[in-house]
Amino acid sequence: MIVLDALFQGILMGLLFALVALGLTIIFGMMDIVNFAHGEFLMIGMYTTYWTSLLLHIDPLITLPASAIVGMLLGLASYYWLVKYLLRGPMIAQLFGTFGLMLFLRYLAQFLFGIDYRIIQKGLLVGKTLSLGPFRLDWTKLSAAIFSLIAFLLVYYLLHRTKLGKALRATALNREAANYMGIKTERMNALAWMIGGGTVGIAGGLIVNFWYVYPTIGLLFIMIAFASVAMGGFGSIKGAFFAGILIGMLEMLFPMFGHLTGWDFFGPHFKFTVVYFAYFIIVVLRPQGLFGWKR
Amino acid sequence: MVFLEVIDLVKDFGGVVANNHVSFQINQGEIIGLIGPNGAGKTTLFNCIVGYHKPDSGKVIFKGKEITGFKPFMTNREGIGRTFQLTKVTAGMTVLENVMVGAFCRTDDRLLAKIEAAAILGFMGLDSVKAFHLNELPIASQKKIGLARAIATQPELMMLDEVASGLNPKETEEMVELLKKIHREKKITLFLIEHVMEVVMPISQRVIVLDGGEKIAEGLPRDIVKNERVIKAYLGEKYAKGF
Amino acid sequence: METLRDAFDFRDFSKPEKVGFAIFSLFLLIFPWLGAGSFVKAVAIQFLLFSLFGMGWNTIGGYGGQVELGKAQYVGIGAYTVALMMVWWKIPFWVSMPIGILIAIGYSFIIGYPLFRLKGHYFAIATICTSLVLQDIFINWKLVGAAKGIELPIHEHPDFLYMQFKSDTYYFYFIMGLFYVAIFYMNWFRKSKLGYQLRMIKEDEEAAESLGIDARWCKIKAYSIASAFVAVGGGFLAVYNLYIDPYSVMDLDLSIKIALMSMLGGAGSMWGPIIGSAFLVPLDRFLGSWLGAQKGLIGVDFMIYAALIMIVSAYQPRGIWGIIEQFRKRGS
Repeated sequence: MIVLDALFQGILMGLLFALVALGLTIIFGMMDIVNFAHGEFLMIGMYTTYWTSLLLHIDPLITLPASAIVGMLLGLASYYWLVKYLLRGPMIAQLFGTFGLMLFLRYLAQFLFGIDYRIIQKGLLVGKTLSLGPFRLDWTKLSAAIFSLIAFLLVYYLLHRTKLGKALRATALNREAANYMGIKTERMNALAWMIGGGTVGIAGGLIVNFWYVYPTIGLLFIMIAFASVAMGGFGSIKGAFFAGILIGMLEMLFPMFGHLTGWDFFGPHFKFTVVYFAYFIIVVLRPQGLFGWKR
Repeated sequence: MVFLEVIDLVKDFGGVVANNHVSFQINQGEIIGLIGPNGAGKTTLFNCIVGYHKPDSGKVIFKGKEITGFKPFMTNREGIGRTFQLTKVTAGMTVLENVMVGAFCRTDDRLLAKIEAAAILGFMGLDSVKAFHLNELPIASQKKIGLARAIATQPELMMLDEVASGLNPKETEEMVELLKKIHREKKITLFLIEHVMEVVMPISQRVIVLDGGEKIAEGLPRDIVKNERVIKAYLGEKYAKGF
Repeated sequence: METLRDAFDFRDFSKPEKVGFAIFSLFLLIFPWLGAGSFVKAVAIQFLLFSLFGMGWNTIGGYGGQVELGKAQYVGIGAYTVALMMVWWKIPFWVSMPIGILIAIGYSFIIGYPLFRLKGHYFAIATICTSLVLQDIFINWKLVGAAKGIELPIHEHPDFLYMQFKSDTYYFYFIMGLFYVAIFYMNWFRKSKLGYQLRMIKEDEEAAESLGIDARWCKIKAYSIASAFVAVGGGFLAVYNLYIDPYSVMDLDLSIKIALMSMLGGAGSMWGPIIGSAFLVPLDRFLGSWLGAQKGLIGVDFMIYAALIMIVSAYQPRGIWGIIEQFRKRGS
């Protein structure tokens, strides 16, 4: 029974991980850049919802769009002020470029907000749980998962059913051809970053309802995002979805396993080592991930 | 002993069968041309032989030893050299250093490698550009350097992937002479993929033709140009009937 | 032996480079007697240490073109080996350091083998992962002190067996010695067969393979060399600070800094890591101490750091040495 509960929790968290991974995989699929600052985008999304809800005395669920907008702007700014230039250089420069962005945002946050841990205390759903038979679920987590799913579906719809989305995917598949077809690839790049930033901003806004935010939280989530994207396949949206959920379940089951076998090694402090390990194993054994189409 | 033997090679890219049961033989000392329309599977065949791709079935035997599935560096050490259609043009190493890397394949000594490299560059007429970087040189020179590099590994068989592409008529002539010289003086068997007929036809002793993944003809150059199937492959049925 | 000759042969460097290096060496030699304060001396030691780290990273990251961001784990291996051997079995530095190097090399082969199946971004991320995993393990491993770290017992000074000294001057010459060993090694390396092959791999891996180079194996070898370098630096840190913990010697930040120094100075060149260090170490220290002194400015030093990284990445990825080379080409 505890196992089923853990599994369910895992799926809920997994949906959120999937949303976080979504932005990363879209950006990579577009232009072969790994956005190391992705975790920091999340962090900023978290802080946005936190502060707007706190200062304006509005329920965090309603201030969620603010996180989305901030995320989108952040993505756009990152592209036009930095990434656009990085694209011209060698891979090492691109790596360091987004790495620098990561450090910059992280310490900017530290400078502005200090190192205290914060979490949403007041809200419609905070602290409330839903009882489904033998299961007890936090409303915050549940709603976060539901919103994630909705966001995922919206993005999927955007990419597969709208003209704009098709243009985006075309550019990702074959930039030159897309260019010849009249698609403004520059704008597509920026759009990818906007969607990437926006989705992870939303994810942040949802997570802060039940997870503490502090300036360095980005590192934690970026590793989870990397693992999800690698497992699902860099560039694959379906992959990000399923891999995110898988990792969510793994995360919950791992300490459970430790619980059952009594092995301290599998204790909670190693929870995240699992993620790093998972990434390593997956990428070595199956470099293209589950659904990857980019090498 | 048959020098290079390809037996029943199949390479399927999951939708496109690039090489469909291709077989042929090459004898030592020959110059063999491989032609065919675009998409015929020529480069894939090359890649399967040198090891860049692993064939799905079939065998590749070189000097009596089976080398199917050997990695590129292994086939090179066995004695097969190869050039690329497009050399990555970079600014990191000089021409001499490039060729030295090839020479290092057969020696551990830097001085020896340097001497060997310089000798090859002299042989190819590239002495004057020894200290330049690849990105400072015209295409014709880049191609020659690609050749020089591969020759430095002391191959017995050289596989040349469109070595004449991008060259003007005069450069093409030079290339033909150079290839003949390499064949004659270095005693290297040549296997060329080519689209430029001015290169393949004059120097090949035999020509193999691929189309749609299959070998459709093999024989002397003057017979190949009259072969109905070959003409059809390149120009369509209309022209084939006309001859 | 030819190897030694190669190591000391600087003939293929330009005159300004040779003269510059000679003057620089002279300066280093007399530095401790120039009357600089302890803070400046400490910065100088840091500079030499990071040059050492940087040169190590440069082997695989610069010449080899494989951006790896996990060097800190080898710093840790070197540091912990020296520290633990001293604390547990009273083994002197000169015995424990070679052992540390061997362990570092061994470990690098073990994880290098699967690691180098990857390329590009995947590879870089994987290197971060391995370092984080090791750090995590050390943080939780009670046997090696877990998060509290290890404190080395203080001996009578000066102690050449365990390399403990009261005055920084000794440490300065010690690290300087290691620095020069590294330079001669790098001078040999870039002219060696492995050096040439590695550079070819960086230029065009496919072509390298067609020339008989087993790219994966070459990369692993270079990676091991880099790890050995870095482990030595770790050993030095252990006897210099007399205290180590997983956060100070195995942190991701350290890995980043190491790679950054080389990149800023010019990855793939002999002097790049040294130039990068000369630039960043003082910047880091002075910025840190100046800004750290004013409350409310925590993190601003990192922000400036980060901004620098972004600017260099966007505009001059070939680093300072790249800029110098550009000027030279234009001049001739």
